Formats: sequence, structure tokens, C-alpha cells
Amino acid sequence: MGETETTAAVNLLMARSQMAFTLGFHIVVASLGVGFPVLILGAEGLWLRTGDAGWRELARRWSKSFAVLFAVGAVSGTVLSFELGLLWPEFVGTFGAVIGLPFTLEGFAFFIEAIFVGIYLYGWDRLSPRAHWWAGVPIALSGLASAWFVVTANAWMNSPEGFVLTDGVVTSVDPLGAMLNRATPTQTTHMIIAAYMVSGFLIASVYAWSRLRGRDGIYQRRAMALGLTLGAAFAPVQILAGDFAAKMVAQTQPVKLAAMEGQFRTEAHAPLRIGGLPDAATKQTRFALEIPGALSWLAYGDSSAVVRGLDAVPVQDWPPVAVVHVAFQLMVGAGSALFGLAMWSAWALLRRRALPRSRAFLGSVVAAGPLAVVALEAGWVVTEVGRQPWIVQGIMRTAESVTTAPAVGLLFAATLTTYALLGAGAVVVLRILSRVPLEAPSHVA
Amino acid sequence: MSPDVVVLAVLLLALTLYAVLGGADFGAGVWEFNTALQASERERALLYRAIGPVWEANHVWLIFALVLLQTAFPRALAAISQALWLPLFLALFGIVFRGAGFAFRSYAAGAVAQQQIWGAVFALASTAAPFFLGAAAGALASGRLEMTPDGRFTGSFLTGWISPLSIFSAFFAVGVCSYLAAVYLTREGAQINDAELTHLWRARALATGAWMGILAFAGIAIIASDAPVLWQAFRARGLPLVAASVVTGFGSLWALWRERFNLAVVGAASTVVCVIAGWGISQYPVLVPPRLTVELAKSPEEILRVVLWVVSGGAVLLVPALGLLFALFKRGATVGSRATDSGQAMEGGRET
Repeated sequence: MGETETTAAVNLLMARSQMAFTLGFHIVVASLGVGFPVLILGAEGLWLRTGDAGWRELARRWSKSFAVLFAVGAVSGTVLSFELGLLWPEFVGTFGAVIGLPFTLEGFAFFIEAIFVGIYLYGWDRLSPRAHWWAGVPIALSGLASAWFVVTANAWMNSPEGFVLTDGVVTSVDPLGAMLNRATPTQTTHMIIAAYMVSGFLIASVYAWSRLRGRDGIYQRRAMALGLTLGAAFAPVQILAGDFAAKMVAQTQPVKLAAMEGQFRTEAHAPLRIGGLPDAATKQTRFALEIPGALSWLAYGDSSAVVRGLDAVPVQDWPPVAVVHVAFQLMVGAGSALFGLAMWSAWALLRRRALPRSRAFLGSVVAAGPLAVVALEAGWVVTEVGRQPWIVQGIMRTAESVTTAPAVGLLFAATLTTYALLGAGAVVVLRILSRVPLEAPSHVA
Repeated sequence: MSPDVVVLAVLLLALTLYAVLGGADFGAGVWEFNTALQASERERALLYRAIGPVWEANHVWLIFALVLLQTAFPRALAAISQALWLPLFLALFGIVFRGAGFAFRSYAAGAVAQQQIWGAVFALASTAAPFFLGAAAGALASGRLEMTPDGRFTGSFLTGWISPLSIFSAFFAVGVCSYLAAVYLTREGAQINDAELTHLWRARALATGAWMGILAFAGIAIIASDAPVLWQAFRARGLPLVAASVVTGFGSLWALWRERFNLAVVGAASTVVCVIAGWGISQYPVLVPPRLTVELAKSPEEILRVVLWVVSGGAVLLVPALGLLFALFKRGATVGSRATDSGQAMEGGRET
């Protein structure tokens, strides 16, 4: 008995690590899959409108990088769709039907995306310029739809609705109700905006880096400006979307909110803690800057509202508080910095009709890419680790759903190796693509 | 007809299309593996050009089948995931490296060493993926997976999937993929009026086809001895489809011989369709042999109905989109000259 318990504990740790790692990898590539096509269509659209071949070259070169990233996203997404069953058979066996609708719809969206990726990438010389641009539109739309469908399934895990469970068996399902659960509107919005921000800032970051290193032509400036426009446009909206998402978490997952905020005690006038390190043993969050009543006001719109603390549930139902709190602080911090950069850019555009060319500004844009990725990953940690120990909030524990197969640790090691090769290969090939000389050197001012 | 039967039919259709379309993409990689030291650049160009625009769409049939299984028969997916976790994970590694290898090779234009490495990865992984998918299918069909009536796996996680039929199926799947690829590439060679490549692929297709025919009869013998339950059902219900697969298989060889390549493609694909349909019909109503039936594994009725609505609605978008993709890149001699252009585009970067 003792031995099987240890196996189960090891399996749980290894399966969670594997899931976290593969999802953490995929979420970046998938976000680029959502946002990058918008930028490519933007560049190609500017070519159609202005007839300036420089825009066409940008779109064409970007489409090749996108092809590499899309392939990596397609395979890392395939890993996830297999893993759901392979690592969490009890979860899939019990609830597969309940969240099947969004996954089926996502299957169709991915289908449309893959078909038009083929047409777009290989159709540059086969379609008229206008038709080719339109062939890219379904890629952007189905990327958006894919993200929405997949995140509704995750929202359902946070806010499980739309089914009747009798003796551990799902007996009645309202698939639409499950898909449109209470967490869906806020979580999908928050994630999709994050995907656009990551795409925009990452791409701007690459070209800001080129410019700092001396390759400062019109090609790099245009590329950076397009990326920055997408990222900066969504940065302010994200602060609102994040606020809505947190208010929904306060309603559907008060324990997660308490962990995010390091709130151990249930209290009125709960303070907002900026920074700090929660200690689950002493049940205190130390070193935080506290703004009295601000958490009550943010969560419920009333500075005297009672915020439920972690003490509302037994300790075995707590998520790892420190991880969730620190991740949340990282996300908010990075998001605020990106908001600052967006404001800086907007202010400069208003004042001087041009983006700043200073090293300080370019350096900030370089930092914005990694910062956006940090915010994305940290936000993902908040929502996933913050739900623990549950795989389905309040209904099924992660430990109950994990596979009993052996060697899950070995599998994780193999997966790490695979993804290291995958990531390294993608970086090498993207660098090769970036070194192909520009077609129109006259454009390089 | 009850909705679970319709969903099951859609699921089988998705798997069949994956085998016929995605299988050929794997097969191209198997050939790249087999001919690594002798293939000419022109031969490689035809092969990479053929799968470039379509492999990602073809790959989605597998994802589609997977989500259908999860949604409509979640207990079956859980049972298969547990019992066949090892071959499925190995297949998954193959699928990952096939896709990444292909994309990296295509876009690492000019970097010869990178292209060689990723070309090799693509070739090896394209062989591994159908091998382990075939093994998983064989393990399932054998009816030898030990499980409780509700689908909880009780056998060995490491060796429970290994049986004569699973090992045979692994090799058979690789063979089927190479045959499909060789037949399709013969047609594509003829489309670009390349007599030499057409001749080469025709010879390869004929040789592979002949071997696969012999292997298929050996397979029937293995099913008879290793999977007696399936064998009984085959004799009771599957015979017409077994007969049809023999006819279409020989038909495709005849068409190749007579250089009627469109017909050969139809014949080769039909053979695979008949084999999979024959398996499905013989095994029904058992979903995961020996005991997990459709009845036990299926989702509540309302889910199955929603799935059918979604599939019907999705098909309205999907069918024209797929039609456009294949019309643009696979339509035969009328676009023969343009196919050469895209071949260069395919090589990734060379056109700039």
C-alpha cells in the first residue's frame, strides 16, 4: 500500500511537471499563432494599399517565420491533446464529454487554420495579391477562435457548470452551459488580449534589438512599429480585462484569490499587498506594501467588503500560496511596465508624430518582449497552480485523475529533451531566416 | 439510426482520412529514410513539394478523431490512453519530430548542415510515427488488452500492448504508408511531366504493392491465430470488405502497370478504406476489445446530438476549404507548369 502511495505521489508530481512544462511551452507558440497572422496581414495589407514593395517583403519574410512557429505550435498542441488522456485518464474519462464541445469546435478551427496556412504559405505565386491577403484572414480568425474555445475548457475547470454528477458519473450535460460558464467571458478575453500583446511586443523586441545593434533601416523600423502598435494597443485594455478576471475569480474561486493576494485571514477592509512573500507555515505575508481596504474595493467595489481568506478552507485545500502570490505579482508588475511603455509610445506619437529613437526607448522595447512572455507565463501559473489541489474546482482532485502508468518521470525527461531540441531547432532556423539578405537594399536608409 | 452509431461512423471516417492522407505524408518520409543515400535532389524536391502545402491539414484528422473520441466516448479514450500509453507516446514523439523536422528542413534554406540534420529527423520520425500508431491499432484489434468490464486497464503497462498482431500491424502500417506515398508520387511525377521520376516511383510502387499484398495475406493468418474473436467477426461480417480490399489492391497495381495513375491513387486509397472499414464493422459494437462497448463508453445522448450538429455545421466550412486546398495544389496536369513554381517556393526561402 505504502509503495503504491509513493508511486502515486511521484506520478502526480511528474505528470504535473510535464503538463506545466508542455503547456508553458505551447502557450507562447500558440499566442504567436494568434497574433502573428494579424501583423503579417497588416504588412501585406499596407503593401496592397500603398504599393510599397518593402511592406510585401516584410509580410513575405514574416510568413516564413510564422510557418516555422506554426509547425512547432501544431506539434506541441498535438502533444497536449494526447497528454490530456495519457496523463489524466480519470479526468478525461469522467468529464471528457462535458468539455467535449469546445474541444470539437477547436478541432474545426484548427482544421481551417491548417488548411489556410497551407494555402497562404504556398500560394504567394498562385493567387492574386488580393486573394492571397484574403487567404490569410481565416488564419487570423481561426487562431482567435481556437484560443477562445480552448480557454473556455480551462475556464470550465475553474468554474465547472452545466452537468449533473451522480456517484462519480456524469449523467446529464448541458454542453453549451458548460462552455459558457461564468469564468468564460473574463478568462477568454484576458487570454486573447495576452496573446496579441505577446505577439506584438515579442516581434517589436526582435527588431528593436536589431536597431540597437546597428541594423537600423526602414525595414526594421516598420517591423518594430507594427509589432509595437499591436502590443501597445492592447496593453491598456488588458488592465481592465485583468480587473474583470480577478473580480470573477473572487466570486468563483475565492481561495485562488486569497492565494493570489496572500490573504490568509478572512477580513473586512482587506489590504492590497504589493510584493511580499506569503509563508503558509506562519500564515503571514511578510515584506509587502499594504494599501488598506484596496483589495476589498478591487474585488467587490467596496473598501469595507469582507474578503474570504485562505482560512475559509482546510489547509489541505490550499494551493501553494507563495507560488501563486509571487506569480501574480510578477504578472501585474510586467503588465504595468508594458502599460508604461504603451503610454510612452503614445505620448511620443502625439507630441512628435514619431516613435522615439533613443537607446533608452529601444532598450525598453527590447525588454518588452521577454516581459510580455513573463506576464503570460506568470498569469498561466496563477490560474493553474491557483486552482490546485483541484483539477476540476471543488469536484475532482488532481491526484485522483492522474495516470497509474509507471515511468512517468522517465517520460518527463524524454519530453524535456524533445522540447529542448524543438526549441533550439526553431531558434536556429529563425536565425537562418533572419540572415537572408533583404531583397531591396535601397530601402535600408 | 442512433446518434452514437453516426458519431462512430464519423470517427471511423476521420481515422480513415488520416490513414489515406496523413499516412501518405508519413510514407514520403519513410521513402526519404529508405533512400537517404541514393535520392537525387530532384527526387527530394518532388517529395517535399508534394507534402508541403497539405501535411498540416492532413495531420488535423488525427486531432479531430481524438477530440471526437474524447467527447463522444470518453471512457474509451481513457482506457486506450492507459493501456496503450507507451506506443502512443512513442508515436507522439514521432509525430512531433516529423512535423518539426519537415518545417525546419524546409525553411533552413541555404544552411546545408541544418537541412541534412532536420531532413534525417523528418525521415526517421516519419517512419516511427506510423510504426507505433500501427502497433497501437494492432494491440487494440488483438483483443488481448487486459481490462475490467468498465475499461480499467489491469495488464502490464510496459509489455501489455505487445502481441503478434501489434508487431505485425506496426510493420504493416509503415508498409501501407510507403505504398500510398509511392502511388501518389508516381501521379505527381506524371503531373509535372517528369518521365524519369514517374518511372522511378512507379517501379517503387509496384514493388511495394506486391510485397504488401503478400504481407496482407500473412496478416489474415495472424489475425486468425492471434485475435480469434476478431477473426470470427471478420468471417461473419467483414468478408465483403476483405474481398473488396483485395480487389482494389490488385486494381491499384494493375492501374500502375497500365500507367493510369489517377485510377491507381483511387485504388490504393480504397484498399486502405476497405481495410479500416472492415476492421470497424467486424469489431462493432465493441470499442475497446475485449469488453468496452459503445454502449458502455458513450457520452449522454444530448452530447452526441450536439457533436453531430457541430460536425454538420463544421463540415459546411471544412469541405469547401479542403476542396480549395487540394484544388490549388493537387489538381493535376492543368497546373503542371505552375506546380514547378511552387516547388521552388516550397524549398523555403529560395525564391527570395
